[in-house]
Amino acid sequence: MNAPRDMAAHLAELEDIPGTRIFTATRARAGYHLNQFAMSLMTPENRDRWKSDEAAYLDDWPMSAEQKAAVLARDYNLLLDLGGNIYFLSKIFSTDGLSFVDVTSAMAGVSVAQYQRMMSSGGRSPEGCRSVKEGR
Amino acid sequence: MAAISAGVASSHVPLLGVAHDQGRDRDLYFAPIFDGFEWTRTWQRRARPDVVILVYNDHSSAFDMRIIPTFAIGCAERFRPADEGWGRRPVPDVIGHPDLAWHMAQSLILDDFDMTIVNEMDVDHGLTVPLTMMFGDVPDWPVRVIPVAVNVVTYPPPSGNRCWALGEAIARAVAGYPEDLNVQIWGTGGMSHQLQGPRAGLINREWDNMFLDGLIGDSDHLRHIPHIEYLRETGSEGIEMVMWLIMRGALGRSTRCLHRHYHVPCSNTAIGHIVLEPQP
Repeated sequence: MNAPRDMAAHLAELEDIPGTRIFTATRARAGYHLNQFAMSLMTPENRDRWKSDEAAYLDDWPMSAEQKAAVLARDYNLLLDLGGNIYFLSKIFSTDGLSFVDVTSAMAGVSVAQYQRMMSSGGRSPEGCRSVKEGR
Repeated sequence: MAAISAGVASSHVPLLGVAHDQGRDRDLYFAPIFDGFEWTRTWQRRARPDVVILVYNDHSSAFDMRIIPTFAIGCAERFRPADEGWGRRPVPDVIGHPDLAWHMAQSLILDDFDMTIVNEMDVDHGLTVPLTMMFGDVPDWPVRVIPVAVNVVTYPPPSGNRCWALGEAIARAVAGYPEDLNVQIWGTGGMSHQLQGPRAGLINREWDNMFLDGLIGDSDHLRHIPHIEYLRETGSEGIEMVMWLIMRGALGRSTRCLHRHYHVPCSNTAIGHIVLEPQP
């Protein structure tokens, strides 16, 4: 039999990537209702109800106060920290009429124009943002 | 007998569907991307596959957090394009091949791959964008499609090695199907991209091309790349490339490259596309 897998070491590696939140079991559990709320915006009826009163809509979901505040503030980096997954969160910004690039530039902390210039000149280099602990 | 005649890989960025549906596929931004698929559209008209086994991932459209199948096979007669938050894509419904799909499900499970059988689901851009890229604007898709959905969203996704082995098992399943069918297998997603956090926008042209090189010929070194390397080198969503290995695994020991295309950027993503033939 193989030795038991060192899950702590495996997960620590996933946390070692700068500026990145891998959707691990811990985040999936913390973000369950947040992600299911976002998923609910896939029907036109729910989108209408959400747009007419966002706070009231959120009251139906057993999410933390911090998660609700981050949704209302559209703070996507914080939502990732609180267990949101970007494909689920995309239902929120799609409902706002925003594209992935609108939101990825906000998460990267630059304007859409700056972000698009970076992408057109080949994207962000992996140089220096592969690993925190190895500093590469 | 049914046989796999070719393997195709392609990115499946939703913006490509939008560009096509809005007739912007020839503008300055999109033309360099779509140009790289012209060769394939012409080739497909000659290749005339009966069935495509289309490996893709669902982007929280058919599956949500309630149930997360690692490998799911679509056995329905028909699959509708999903409403991903802005209405359904105006593309034809996807027609399945339930006979072959159920044959594959049985063969794969007996072969130690515990597939989730799906009898009803909508298919999102992960599946419909590659169909558009390969066939263009058509009244009906000229092929039946067996969706194979892979979890690459909630960690851990299947390992590259497991994906490759699933491809090998798919090839055995197809070879055991009695009817004469010309089958292609497509792997979709990738290449480098990261859609989240301060590191969004990561692209690694060198690594992506190393990966494309590795699909050609008789090496199987790609199957041993660990998740962490995809994540560090190609961004958090670059992990989708494990799905290409299901395609590669199904092509057998060696492959020949018929066509290859790479372009940066499309939205946040590096577009990669390759057409391979199994080499006896």
